[in-house]
Amino acid sequence: MRPIPALIMVPAAIFAPAAYAAEYLTVSQAQQALFPEADRFPEAAVELSKEQRKAIEKKSGVRQRWEKQAVWRAEKGGELLGWFIVDEVVGKHEFITYAAGLTPDGKVQGIEILVYRETYGYQIRNPDWRRKFAGKTLDDAFKLDEDIPNISGATLSCRNVTNGVKRLLALQQVVLRHGP
Amino acid sequence: MNKKTACTAALLASVLVVSGRSWGDEGLFGYVKGAETLPKGAADFEQWFTWRGDKGTGSYNALDTKTEVDYGITDRLSVSGAFFGLGIDTQDIMFDAYIPKDEKYTWKPAGVEAALKYNYLSPAKDDIGLSQYASLTYFWQDVHSGQNKSVYSFETILIAQKYYLDGQLVAAGNLGLEATSAKRASIDGLPPDFEWPTHPEMEIELTAAAGLTYRFAPSWFIGAEIFYQTEHETEVGQERWSVQAGPTLHYGGKRWWATLTWLPQLQGGGLDYEGQTDTDLHLIEKTKQEVRFKFGFNF
Repeated sequence: MRPIPALIMVPAAIFAPAAYAAEYLTVSQAQQALFPEADRFPEAAVELSKEQRKAIEKKSGVRQRWEKQAVWRAEKGGELLGWFIVDEVVGKHEFITYAAGLTPDGKVQGIEILVYRETYGYQIRNPDWRRKFAGKTLDDAFKLDEDIPNISGATLSCRNVTNGVKRLLALQQVVLRHGP
Repeated sequence: MNKKTACTAALLASVLVVSGRSWGDEGLFGYVKGAETLPKGAADFEQWFTWRGDKGTGSYNALDTKTEVDYGITDRLSVSGAFFGLGIDTQDIMFDAYIPKDEKYTWKPAGVEAALKYNYLSPAKDDIGLSQYASLTYFWQDVHSGQNKSVYSFETILIAQKYYLDGQLVAAGNLGLEATSAKRASIDGLPPDFEWPTHPEMEIELTAAAGLTYRFAPSWFIGAEIFYQTEHETEVGQERWSVQAGPTLHYGGKRWWATLTWLPQLQGGGLDYEGQTDTDLHLIEKTKQEVRFKFGFNF
């Protein structure tokens, strides 16, 4: 077998698909991270009507892109601890998949990044950054460099995750307060 | 290939693999500049190829190359250095004061550039992104004729950028002003009646450009851009103007990006050459067709 010419290795290294571990957590791992006391997570996916999507947009100021939203109830001994929601927002090149835990009274329990395909801005997974969301309600600003710090080089990703969490709080008020 | 070269190439490949990062200053468009700057400490390598062809007479093909390295000094300020090259093949074209004779070479070093880009407003954080670009350029080859010519330019561009649909649709606009001082080198053996001035000339160029691009699939953008240029010169007043527009395709991966843009001239005016039939185009300095391919990666 002839050796591969070394000069071919340079462009190959530049253009080859990156071998980055993009999937950081499974849904089950994220559920346990956000609601460690919960003993079960029954599915409670919601299908949003046009009116509900408009109401979410009105409350949050953020467009509700999806008609279906993946939602689970976090329960302990049958008692509701909160809602676990998986969402996707636009990153610079691909969608970012994250999960938010929301308490029944409309506060953010925490967020976890499940899939982040943008190479730069990996600090978005840092606990310090994610912790900034804890306790926030729909009345908070959710504004980069005000109540949520920006991450250089990943501003669009930070903005869209921040807006996404605010939108999920609005979704909770519109849909989950009374059901599903 | 000797062992040392092989080891160097392998080492470079390894470094590129390990250090691959994504882009703060990704070239979404071929001609229109975006308002984002590199994050502090990040660096970016870009390689451009621009083919220009067809003057409506004779045979004209030119290939411009630009090799650029950018570095983020702060999150808002980046600097860059670029090296230009030129390849040209022109036959049976003689334009007084512009193209004196046939010329053909595959590639020659043609110029250098130093530039700054400062971001005033972030397109992702503020209502609209706003940046300013400023460059100093020195060319020793005339990119139109391929002859020797000293060209010093200062250019500044105001750049606006706006994200729509959470960033899935990107709009950008540029307004530019360039001042140039140029002096042709003398050429022996030209016909006695051929005009080839060798005294210094001053030129002012204004540009306006706009682009819109949409992410139709993960990592893939398709869009269009339009580019207007007008140049005023000391002796002839408005020397030329042109409008170019066309489609642009962009791929932005995790570690590299590439952009392909076709930008034919749609309208133009100013000086024309004797016997020019395409009177609604400017073809002395510009061409009918332009295609640009560029790619970049960070390290």
